[in-house]
Amino acid sequence: MSDADAEARFAGQALLPGFADAGLPRLRDARVHVVGAGPVAAPALLYLARAGVGTLYLDDGADVEPGDSGAWLYAPAQVGQSRLLAALEVLRAASCTVEVRPAASDTSATATLICARSEGVARTSAERARLAGLPHVVALGDAGGGEVISIPIGAPCFACASRPGARVQPRGGAAAAIGTLAALELLLLVAGAAPGQERGRRIALVEGRPGAEATARRPGCGCRLF
Amino acid sequence: MVELQGKTALVVGAGGLGGPAALALAGAGIGRLVLADAAPVEPADLVIAPLLAESDLGRPRGAALAGALARLFPGIDVSAPEQPLDAGSARDLLLGVHVAADATNHFPGMFQVNDAAVAAGVPMVHGALLGHTAQLLSVVPGATGCLRCLFEGPPPRPEPVLPEPDPLGPLAGLVGSLLGVEAVRLLEGKPGAYAGRLLVYEARSGWSRSVSVRPRPGCPACSARHAQGEGRAGGPP
Repeated sequence: MSDADAEARFAGQALLPGFADAGLPRLRDARVHVVGAGPVAAPALLYLARAGVGTLYLDDGADVEPGDSGAWLYAPAQVGQSRLLAALEVLRAASCTVEVRPAASDTSATATLICARSEGVARTSAERARLAGLPHVVALGDAGGGEVISIPIGAPCFACASRPGARVQPRGGAAAAIGTLAALELLLLVAGAAPGQERGRRIALVEGRPGAEATARRPGCGCRLF
Repeated sequence: MVELQGKTALVVGAGGLGGPAALALAGAGIGRLVLADAAPVEPADLVIAPLLAESDLGRPRGAALAGALARLFPGIDVSAPEQPLDAGSARDLLLGVHVAADATNHFPGMFQVNDAAVAAGVPMVHGALLGHTAQLLSVVPGATGCLRCLFEGPPPRPEPVLPEPDPLGPLAGLVGSLLGVEAVRLLEGKPGAYAGRLLVYEARSGWSRSVSVRPRPGCPACSARHAQGEGRAGGPP
């Protein structure tokens, strides 16, 4: 795609508040490590690939499961194949403006999106991102909704911000809603386009209604120090 | 869990909002999907409607989305009529439909779908975007107010003086997904999350609020329904 074609394609987004000047170039320069490629992450990956993000690093060791069918990236015939390989193929075909690679130990990400299957993996991944000094967004589904937490550098950590939940994995439209909300928060964070987001915030999606609150550090948490 | 195999859903608009809505309905097991959007796929659509592909450029959006759904849900009964949307075609599209999703994001279109759904007694979920702001409303004819009860009609100046910004793709994905999930809720006979309550969400602030939408005396859409004997309350069996 030529620069003129790319400019025409993103002309509408360039008119958005927060994206008019530096926002879109920041997305183009971003290298985003995405943890997970399941039903929550799949829609997020597709939107990030189409939004003008420069590089995506994919990170999922599981195979496509029957429940993934219809999760935007995978067809029923791909059940049993590697999620990573299947997602790489779809995402590379989806956009010629993004570079898509498997994540590796030397991945030089500038931000992280975490859509992990379990709370434990989410916690570990979030802590790695925080210690690496990377802004990160964590999505945790919970049946028909869930929570999405934006953690800019220096903001209260995932453990401070997350709230308890049953953590029943969402499927279908509910999973897509949480995944797309997470992708939205990541784009706003990377572009620096949401004025209230820089101190950290948590958006709960309950009964189809998103509601944001600023996050706060838990007394005694050491995340301020590192 | 209500069996959705025997149900038909109409999605009007097959771009940034309609694609995720159709996916949510297909994933929930809807029996038949009608995707109404004759507009051609344009380059800007590919940013906010990631189910559409470069190879779809120039094709009618409804047909292009039907192709994407067929890959993800082989065997799904999906049709994509290509007549342009107007008051008459909106009425025709609603024949035999159990729930409608308004994903037009276009002022005249959203009121045409509203009026036809109210007249036919078919529950409708409306979703729309403007910049970073999104809104959702469910209209249950005979029980809640409708779009005309709230806004009366399209704004008087249909053509903007300045170009409108396109929304971010994931915001369209969020609203489209919520639209589809809400349509499934209504098909299952559950109370809609947005039934008679307009949800407004502003993505930069994360701020949301709900506005109650009650039937308005004198609403032309609701009055026309009363005059014709309550329409086909609840749509087809």
